[in-house]
Amino acid sequence: MKISRRLNQWNNLKTWQPLIIAISLIMIIAILHKAHWELNTETNPIDTWKGKKVTNDNNETNINFPENIGDSITFKGILMTSPKFEVYSNDSIVLGEYSKDEALVYDENLYGKTIINLSGMRILVNGDLSGEFFESEIITVKAYVIENTSYYTENGQNITLNREGWEAIPEDIHLASDTDYYFFGTELIILAIGSYYSLNRIPNLKNQLGFAKHLALFEFKRGLKAPRMIVLGSFFTIFIVGIGWLLGDLQNSTSVFAVTSGNDGLLRLSYFSFFVVSLAAIAVSVDTIHKERQSNTLNMLLARPINRETIVLGKALGLTMVVGVPAFIAQVLGLYFMTIAGEMPTIGCMLAFLIFGQIMIFTMVTFQLCLAISAKNGADVVIYGLGAWLLFSVVWTLLVYAVSFVIGIDVSAQNFENDPEYQAIASRLALLNPGFVYQMAVGLFAHRTISIDFEGVPGWLLLLSLVLWPLTCLRIATWLFKREMRG
Amino acid sequence: MGNSLLELDEVQKDYRIRSFGRVIRTTKALDKLSLKVEKGQIFGFLGPNGAGKTTTIKCITGILQSDAGSIKIEGENIEENSFVNKNKIGFLPEQIGLYGNLNCFETLAFYAGFYDLNENDIEKRGSNLLKILGLKKDSKRPVREFSLGMKKRLALAIALLHEPQILVLDEPTSGLDPRGVKALRSVLRELNQEGLTILLSSHVLSEVQEICTHVGIINNGKLIRQESIQKIREKVQKTAIKLSLRVKNFDKDNREDLTQKKGVNVIEENDLGKHQQIILRLKEKLIPWVTNNLVSNDVQIFSIEPQDTSLEDVFMMETGGGNED
Repeated sequence: MKISRRLNQWNNLKTWQPLIIAISLIMIIAILHKAHWELNTETNPIDTWKGKKVTNDNNETNINFPENIGDSITFKGILMTSPKFEVYSNDSIVLGEYSKDEALVYDENLYGKTIINLSGMRILVNGDLSGEFFESEIITVKAYVIENTSYYTENGQNITLNREGWEAIPEDIHLASDTDYYFFGTELIILAIGSYYSLNRIPNLKNQLGFAKHLALFEFKRGLKAPRMIVLGSFFTIFIVGIGWLLGDLQNSTSVFAVTSGNDGLLRLSYFSFFVVSLAAIAVSVDTIHKERQSNTLNMLLARPINRETIVLGKALGLTMVVGVPAFIAQVLGLYFMTIAGEMPTIGCMLAFLIFGQIMIFTMVTFQLCLAISAKNGADVVIYGLGAWLLFSVVWTLLVYAVSFVIGIDVSAQNFENDPEYQAIASRLALLNPGFVYQMAVGLFAHRTISIDFEGVPGWLLLLSLVLWPLTCLRIATWLFKREMRG
Repeated sequence: MGNSLLELDEVQKDYRIRSFGRVIRTTKALDKLSLKVEKGQIFGFLGPNGAGKTTTIKCITGILQSDAGSIKIEGENIEENSFVNKNKIGFLPEQIGLYGNLNCFETLAFYAGFYDLNENDIEKRGSNLLKILGLKKDSKRPVREFSLGMKKRLALAIALLHEPQILVLDEPTSGLDPRGVKALRSVLRELNQEGLTILLSSHVLSEVQEICTHVGIINNGKLIRQESIQKIREKVQKTAIKLSLRVKNFDKDNREDLTQKKGVNVIEENDLGKHQQIILRLKEKLIPWVTNNLVSNDVQIFSIEPQDTSLEDVFMMETGGGNED
């Protein structure tokens, strides 16, 4: 009985069966992906590092690891510091000094070598990695246990250091993404195939897409002429251009607000863009469904051969264009003025700033559509919209403080914002805020790989979040719309 | 199936009242409603307020989805292939919703975008419809400047633009002045003569009686009668007739006497000055009883005249006097 009911449910999902199968396969591949790293690498290098035993015996210091000399382990971890600052040279070390952190004695043999900090574990690399790898990148390192003896002086006493340590050669260091891309590539291909077959099963897809385009263009033309958009569009253009100029100028400044690079400036500009553009996105979509319901134009629309999903999609696309086109122009102008006054950001970062900006606007529009559909009256609609904007743009940090406080972080301590635990919570919570997702995704593209760690949030999760936000909001909006229209 | 164009079979629809996403109350709007509209008919859909007329029309046009039952057009379930089937329906709602900043052509072009029409078709058909409906000279004016009648005509043009097989109108004459009503009636007749099937709901019974070929009466979400107007009249007349009596000395007691008899209803009393007029609905076989009763109670009868049974009488009988809600 249960099986036949399940079979019926499955058969009712005819259109989405290929996509469901594809997502199931992707989940399996994701599990295999995780298993691959867990089985073939040590994903917690700090555990190995913490396993070392340091003993002091007379004038001898011994550092030993449980592993045998010559054993090798491939570690997977995050570069906690930039390797370019970890290359030994006569400027960076004092010969004969014992570094407890690095568990070695500085000597001339170290010149030109790099001591990397892999998720807290120190590995000595026989080569200069500056410019090869960068901070926050997730890498794999095949390292060997070696032993050597060196000498240092402490409190006037000569001490022998019998050291076991981990060493690697540059050729054994790789970005984790070199392997990740195979898995992600396979997953994307499967997703594309699943989506293709599912979309093909949607009746009259071509017509419905045509209707969505028709409705979107109609909304776009109408929305651009709306007084509120003229006011908001002018406001955010001036704001973004002004901030862009300021951020460019601050790159040459020594003030506390100094901007360190073009990419840094762009990251900040993306935050300010979100701040004003999200307000415009919410403002244009705040009453779209409610107003149409009140004026009976919605009934006129529902009586046409257009699906309810298409109506929501068309409206979302149209409203995105209403804000997105002026925002795109404002962002380009902001970028231009920033680069006039300061450094040019990387191409990837600039493209991410512009393209992800449109995704962010679409997300905010669909998010507001969800609220607008659920609202029972005009006052609710405005309050929901304003509340959403305040939450994402203004009071989010307070929310992070509150959550941190609840889980036991002392948010009254000085510099608590530098606490790794707090940063990890802030990063993870940021995934729940489309504005921060946008900002972090722009930041991701300042790097050459998606194998980047943002305080506990890997780059792929950030991209997934960037894609899931608009899709989820759109799905919820269509579901709510269908439910409301059902009566 | 015969020549059936539109067929509703045991359609059910409940309205759900939600609070925080949970359904807290449901109201039954349609209760296993079944009806058939055949090709070429002008089908009048009658019922008191809250009977389910607009809900039925909304289900037919796809504005609402029914909870159970089927709505078929040309034998095909509308919801199964709504893209094709909605093309067969033109809809004129009671409350016209148009975008005020658009003019007639822009409005037509917007709604035409949801049908398989190219620009030439839109231009040609649009011009023709605006001309027929008397909107040609106002075609460049924004809709916000239109009167209700003009908006209705424009909405009718939208409904007809894609050349539907059936035109569904919800209270088409509400809010129109007598001239507008007459013009609309004449357009509908012409369209019907050209082969268009029409389904309309209306409160104006005289209008339905005048224009419709067939009638369905709905009450409490159920269809209680569906027939041609002629047949309805005949049937009603078989069961009850209307008599107008001119009398004198007819008082409250006489009235109670009459109404206590099963099958006799006093439906109207008028004071004509010298005489009184009473209008009775009664079974034919009871006429002698009524006259005997009145005479024996010293009521003087000056004349007895049979009256035509109107659709209003049928409506009142079928719906129990009309449930205003």
